[in-house]
Amino acid sequence: MLSIALSELVQIFRNRLVLVTSLVMPAAVSSFFIYRHDVFAALGSLGYIAAVVMFTVGAFGLYATTVTTLASRRQNLFLKRLRSTGAGDTGILTGLLLPITVISLLQVAVIMTVLAVVTGAPDNVLLLAAAVLSMVIMMLGLGLATAGLTNSAEHAQVTTLPISIGTIVVASWVGITGTEDLALLKRLLPGGSATELVVNAWNGGVPLPTSLLLLAPTLSWVTVAVALASRIFRWEPRR
Amino acid sequence: MTRSHWQMSVATAEIRCMASTPVIDVERLNLKYGDFHAVKDLSFQVRPGEFYALLGTNGAGKTSTLEVVEGHRTATSGTVRVFGQSPRDRRAVRPRMGIMLQESGFSPDLTVRESVRLFGKLSQRTDRVERVLGVVDLTRKAGTKVSQLSGGEKRRLDFATAVYGTPELIFLDEPTTGLDIQSRDDLWDAVDRLRDDGSTIVLTTHYLEEAQQRADRIGLMHRGTFHREGTVSELTRTLPATIRFFLPARAPALPLQATRENDGTFRIETFGLQKDLFTLLRWAQDHAVELEGLEAGPTRLDDVFRALGSD
Repeated sequence: MLSIALSELVQIFRNRLVLVTSLVMPAAVSSFFIYRHDVFAALGSLGYIAAVVMFTVGAFGLYATTVTTLASRRQNLFLKRLRSTGAGDTGILTGLLLPITVISLLQVAVIMTVLAVVTGAPDNVLLLAAAVLSMVIMMLGLGLATAGLTNSAEHAQVTTLPISIGTIVVASWVGITGTEDLALLKRLLPGGSATELVVNAWNGGVPLPTSLLLLAPTLSWVTVAVALASRIFRWEPRR
Repeated sequence: MTRSHWQMSVATAEIRCMASTPVIDVERLNLKYGDFHAVKDLSFQVRPGEFYALLGTNGAGKTSTLEVVEGHRTATSGTVRVFGQSPRDRRAVRPRMGIMLQESGFSPDLTVRESVRLFGKLSQRTDRVERVLGVVDLTRKAGTKVSQLSGGEKRRLDFATAVYGTPELIFLDEPTTGLDIQSRDDLWDAVDRLRDDGSTIVLTTHYLEEAQQRADRIGLMHRGTFHREGTVSELTRTLPATIRFFLPARAPALPLQATRENDGTFRIETFGLQKDLFTLLRWAQDHAVELEGLEAGPTRLDDVFRALGSD
């Protein structure tokens, strides 16, 4: 598994397209949000900025790269070749997705640290970490499911749009308008409850048990995504 | 009998028993894709150290069969055992087998050395990357990205990863497609050395002469099942040998039944090549007839293969 992860890391740094979409673009967008934090804090809150940068990394860095990686590795039969070895399916997927997951987590950690230095520390760091982890797991699950519907790296540019754009729109909607209205709908949408959790963790003022309940919808999305992925994920191109 | 002698006898018996156990045992294999029955009731065995060739017409089911035996696909019904275990049990079976796929499946962004190192490590066998690169003459290309390799070089890389660590069982799916003559010779030399080391080889190829020269046994597939199976001589003896020649105009009647081809050659099919050839030559001598372009030869695998298509 580690040898697959290492080779994947080498490939990420050699492929300029992946490097730009998974590293440079989310970092640039996040820098803009932090640079204009006064404007965005007035629009929503500091917690909203934290949520939107987290989902920018999650959607474009993690989710889109997961789908692109799996689709292109399947298309050029790299997945089939990996399955010709003694490596198990879980080990193969873990190896392939470990580098981008670690990179995304590091990116979120660095970006949030910068935000904290610029604007002040979050109210509950552990809750924030739980929110980030739940987002990462959800995006990985959705990535696996979407990869099952994606034929190639080019096709991934289309198939990833609904969830990439959708989660950022949901994060912005929930982050700016809060959950006083349409709470159930906002929390059930993918990214809705994770956004509320980040806002609560950053801004504070909400009892911990209430916030922890918000992990449930996100983890439900993980279950749905993994169940979908197990049905539609393919290891070889369609004949 | 001393204890050590007894232990040695038991060990020898175990080795003999293991040697007689087929490396591959396929029994009544069926594979369907929806309504399409790709493989029908196929049964065969491959013994340790054997060179077995799986040949057939396009769409005969060779690749489907191989994919089930390699563990890439699940059979619709039937039993497939590799080293006595299910080929789907990758952890148990894969370290003992090397697979040269029909299509490469390498990452274009990795170098040749990185690719061999990665798949060598995943094979769980031990070997030296530089040695394996030397076997396929890719040492000078070790630092080159896979995307910059020619088709033939990719095939050699494919072979290198399949034979890393000298596996007990090696699948070669169209191994020489895209290779120049020198590379083909080098590859077959490497295969011969693997056989000397005791590896079992399973080959599919469209180059029939490669199978004819090397295979201990051949399974000829047609429409999802075996049309024939056996050694080259067993397969070819079922079809007649052929004598071909041109006859001058106004030649007397031939002593044997012959067919005139579209290009004007006469063809005699016979199961008694030596006797009939002698009869023909004696007739030509007696009548002072020059048999231009005379060719006589035993049945080749090509002829058996062509007979498949006409069935």
